[in-house]
Amino acid sequence: MTDTKNHSAQGTFSSLQGRQFAPHSFAELAEAVELAFDYRGDVTVTLRSGQQVTGYLFNRTVKGQDSTFEVFPEGDSGVQLIRYADVVSVAFSGEDTASGNSWENWVAKKESERKAEADRIARDARARGHL
Amino acid sequence: MAVPLSQMYTVTKYVLTQKVKRVKRYPLVLMLEPLFRCNLACAGCGKIQYPDHVLDKHLTPEQCWAAAEECGAPIVSIPGGEPLIHPQMARIVEGLVAQERYVYLCTNAILMERKLDEYKPSKFLTFSVHMDGLKDEHDLAVCRDGVYDVAVRAIKEALKRGHRVTTNTTLFDDANPERVRNFFDEMMALGVEGMMISPGYSYQKAPDQQHFLKRERTRELFSRILGSPKQGWQFNQSPLFLDFLMGKREYQCTPWGNPTYNVFGWQKPCYLLQEGYTKTFRELMADTAWDQYGTGRNEKCADCMVHCGYEASAVEDTFGTVSGFSRTVKLTLLPTSR
Repeated sequence: MTDTKNHSAQGTFSSLQGRQFAPHSFAELAEAVELAFDYRGDVTVTLRSGQQVTGYLFNRTVKGQDSTFEVFPEGDSGVQLIRYADVVSVAFSGEDTASGNSWENWVAKKESERKAEADRIARDARARGHL
Repeated sequence: MAVPLSQMYTVTKYVLTQKVKRVKRYPLVLMLEPLFRCNLACAGCGKIQYPDHVLDKHLTPEQCWAAAEECGAPIVSIPGGEPLIHPQMARIVEGLVAQERYVYLCTNAILMERKLDEYKPSKFLTFSVHMDGLKDEHDLAVCRDGVYDVAVRAIKEALKRGHRVTTNTTLFDDANPERVRNFFDEMMALGVEGMMISPGYSYQKAPDQQHFLKRERTRELFSRILGSPKQGWQFNQSPLFLDFLMGKREYQCTPWGNPTYNVFGWQKPCYLLQEGYTKTFRELMADTAWDQYGTGRNEKCADCMVHCGYEASAVEDTFGTVSGFSRTVKLTLLPTSR
């Protein structure tokens, strides 16, 4: 599988954010889709038609050549069903919302930083009318 | 008695009906997640890490009612996200109550006091307030100061208006048993109907990966918390599940007991793992490789002892074995005999 970006400089697993996969076989494509399914951010899928679909890949059905996956496209209320056979590449284009913010980081932060972060989350919720 | 007799009767009748019909796998509690958006960002939660446009998606009331009908479970638990953010939550609840399902609306209570007017007290509706311990522990767990006090105010107001109120508590390995016991005293003193407790699950997506409980530590912790229970404590859950948490009974997981429906569809195989989605409940039951999940069968399940997998196992024990039935009766009538 072609990974157009380098792996983590530290040699450890890190977020897939920013990486792009251009699979050369069905097995590689299936692996890329699995990674995208597990990814908590948007991906950009480039199709053989040249069309690009950016959104959240939330499900996949693997049935050989009939394999498909489902995407909630960003800015669209519907679901887009995409055939594996139509895919050229999968890019992890959106922010990985599960990355960072570990408990250790939270505890290690200075009290003022923790307060600032809590305030930011509260501000965001308030702006949406959720507080 | 923590669970009202009418609810006990409904659940008993439902389970016995499944047994008479020889239904091998049946749902007990529908976990209905109408949205993932929350107004907190707790360090132990793996449910809310999605892009904004996914967090903005809501199930419609019609989708929620149809899911409950299709599933058929007598109890519907509504977690999230924070359900009270959903603009049509009161309507969703009203429709589920009209179906005569026992609804547990799980909330962090930040919006509860403000929204109480929208809800009519009913034996079918319970506000299940997220409380992870006394003030210090709770505010630390939810990563925001002051939330405990807000929740206590909301609980008092809801009780004053005649609502059923319970608490739901997730315990991590840093829990102090004596502080947890004090917390139980405090919640019961508020007048809640009962408490629900569960160990945390090691969400792969949750920021706090170091604090989730391992199985042996879970048993030790819960034995220290629940041993010598006090007279006034009431738990709104199966007494055999509490036995299981203390290591007094062994169960295999019942992942189909608490099926989950959310904006992605019916979640395979359970509330905690996301292995894929089906369009219908029937497909979920038929297409999921159930035998691949549970302790000893799947590494993701190795340390899990969470209520959504094991409470249904405890209920099955109650209605499936003489020892389970007699122990349930004993602990229900004499909760301090544990």
